[in-house]
Amino acid sequence: MLEVTDLHIEIEDSVIPETVVYDFDISVSAGEIVGIVGESGSGKSMSAHAIAGLLSRKDMKKKGRIVFEGEELLTVSRSRLRKIQGDDIAVVFQEPMTSLNPVLTIGTQVEEALRIHSDLSDEELKKSALEMMRLVELDDVEELYYKYPHELSGGMRQRVMIAAALICDPKLLIADEPTTALDVTIQAQIIELLKKINREKGTAILFISHDLSVVRSLCGRVVVMNRGRIVEQGDAEEVFNNPKEEYTKNLIEAIPKFCKIAVPKKNTDRKPLLEVRSVSARYKKVTGYLIPGTKQKTIVKNASFTMYEGEIMGLVGESGSGKTTLGKTILGMLDDTEGEIIHYSKMPQMIFQDPYGSLNPTKTIGWILQEPLRIKGGFSAKERSEKAKEMLSLVGLDEGILARRPSALSGGQRQRVCIALALMLEPRLIIADEPVSALDVTVSNQVINLLIELNKKLGIAILFISHDLKVVYELCSRIIVMKDGEIVEQGTDEEIFNNPKKEYTKQLLLSAGYTD
Amino acid sequence: MKNLMFRIRKNPEMYIGAAIIVVMLAIIICGVIFSPYDPDAMDASAKFADPSPAHPMGCDNFGRDLYARLSIGGATTLFIAVATVFIGVIFGIIIGALTGYYGGVVDEILMRFNDAVLAFPSILLALVFISLFGSGTFKVIISLGILFIPSFARIVRSEFMRCSKLDYVRSARLMGAGDLRIMFVHILPNIIPVLLSSTVIGFNNAVLAEASMSFLGIGVQPPSSSLGRMLSEAQAFLFSEPSYAIITGVTIALIVLGFSLLGDGLKKNA
Repeated sequence: MLEVTDLHIEIEDSVIPETVVYDFDISVSAGEIVGIVGESGSGKSMSAHAIAGLLSRKDMKKKGRIVFEGEELLTVSRSRLRKIQGDDIAVVFQEPMTSLNPVLTIGTQVEEALRIHSDLSDEELKKSALEMMRLVELDDVEELYYKYPHELSGGMRQRVMIAAALICDPKLLIADEPTTALDVTIQAQIIELLKKINREKGTAILFISHDLSVVRSLCGRVVVMNRGRIVEQGDAEEVFNNPKEEYTKNLIEAIPKFCKIAVPKKNTDRKPLLEVRSVSARYKKVTGYLIPGTKQKTIVKNASFTMYEGEIMGLVGESGSGKTTLGKTILGMLDDTEGEIIHYSKMPQMIFQDPYGSLNPTKTIGWILQEPLRIKGGFSAKERSEKAKEMLSLVGLDEGILARRPSALSGGQRQRVCIALALMLEPRLIIADEPVSALDVTVSNQVINLLIELNKKLGIAILFISHDLKVVYELCSRIIVMKDGEIVEQGTDEEIFNNPKKEYTKQLLLSAGYTD
Repeated sequence: MKNLMFRIRKNPEMYIGAAIIVVMLAIIICGVIFSPYDPDAMDASAKFADPSPAHPMGCDNFGRDLYARLSIGGATTLFIAVATVFIGVIFGIIIGALTGYYGGVVDEILMRFNDAVLAFPSILLALVFISLFGSGTFKVIISLGILFIPSFARIVRSEFMRCSKLDYVRSARLMGAGDLRIMFVHILPNIIPVLLSSTVIGFNNAVLAEASMSFLGIGVQPPSSSLGRMLSEAQAFLFSEPSYAIITGVTIALIVLGFSLLGDGLKKNA
């Protein structure tokens, strides 16, 4: 059905034209699910976008052939391409928050493709939209039809996106990281949904993901990409069980499994480092257009826990559970809070989720690292620079990057710089807010190992905020589970993982695939 | 070389704009430095003299060398524009930074005041200022400068509001950086690209505002010359000696075009 041969993609929109995809060959037959895996920058999304006809014809040079049902997509007329897009090839994007138009109702957006590609009446359009929304297992579809995207959760939006993609009954569905932005429990549901659609409607799916375990559970065939080239392809089970190439082996190795890296620290002296006593945090939301009013939303309700010197404590929960807000509250970054927070150490620091936003883009790494000492005062320029170098080597980075700006660094390097920055003031406590969720698996493993090493070497306590139970299991000795702003359960790793008391914890462990 | 060609092809506005400005500046500076004529010296025998090697652009109704007047007038106009934008940018940054960073009541009060100033046509307000303080080069600078503050304050404010929520600002706060340090060391450098393009466009508006005010006779006073002043003088001889008005008009147009293109190009880069 789809036959891609020898595809090259070159970006011309920069000083030095850059080839991002080389010799890309893939074939997808009707009703098949093919996965493309690779780390960020491997060219997997680029190839998929080329197939969907989404790359600019002006800024990209494409060579090779993309044949879909006998038609050459690279040279076909634009009007014909538009006909194929949406009708025969549909795409679901990664970010459910931005891929729906915020000012149109759900119904309008689900129908859109059908409205363009057929001449059904409004009644018929609505009927097929509702039917499609039921197929993707959305509830109360009649009501949902008139709602707007902001009223829906991330998982629901992604279902809406899938419904909108499937409305014209396409032969090929290109799903570009459709589950990456979602919580684990919802991720599993979306995968099931894609399987069901493939089974019931016979839609072929080209599934792009960096997450190998997801690809394995969904796809029959898999293509592994690295730096714009196909490294290996074949039957999914075969590739996972007997990877031939070194790169594939490394990727499979790096899949997070439930294994312990950190030796849980058994605190004998238990010196408290941080006490949180019935803390609540609220956000004020401005409502109304003409007459502004404020609505309060409690994000964290009555949270209490204690952290001890030198321990790594995990704070887990799905998105919206209030775990980041709790972290910020502890560091005094929010105004509207209640309760008591007692720090037994000075200057606790934070590592943020997005390494792209947490470093000032206009400054050099050297300047950024020296800034805390400049603020503190009493250090000579030489002392500051010495200290910056020391911290840089501690996080395993070369001195050469001191003169660079954040934009010249990779995500993993940036996150290391963020860690070095947090260490500059020699804190006893670091709050790490999802520090690896924006990174590739292999890089993420390195960063986690680094955190563990720092904990062992310097005895720094880490409050590790994450939605990823596997990562938390790897490094935390005590765990707090949050849901809807409340602490559901807290205990040692053994208690939480092997003997969960609350239903929610059990459910969370199940969706993450944890078994004893 | 290839690199430069690529850049020009990607952003032709910026380079064409810059080239026009360089040429105009060169013409004006050459005139100011090398012209042998006193721009105010009248010569009855050279009244409306045609362009000649002695008077490259001819002479005006009093026999003053047009090139000398044009360059000194252009310099005056540009000086007024620079000074005006300087006042606007400096106060705009201070007000915008404070309101954008702190928000709250101060923000509300200053911004409503801002809205009020923006609501009036600037020429009208300039007229009010001039009638209150009197005319003259410095009065023009001050009154135009005050008029330019709100638009800069608004741009700086929105950028500060955006940046103050970013993680690197939070992280600076955790290190114990004070508000002033965060505002001017951490945030300000990040908004310079945006500020730069609006400064260039503001500069343009200042050139036009000065020209209009002088044209209306409330700006620079005779005998000093400025482009607007000269255009207003040329108006009387529009049909008998059109070259006077055309030369002055084209000069203003080219300066404005140059800065417009440069501003657009910078915006594209930002």
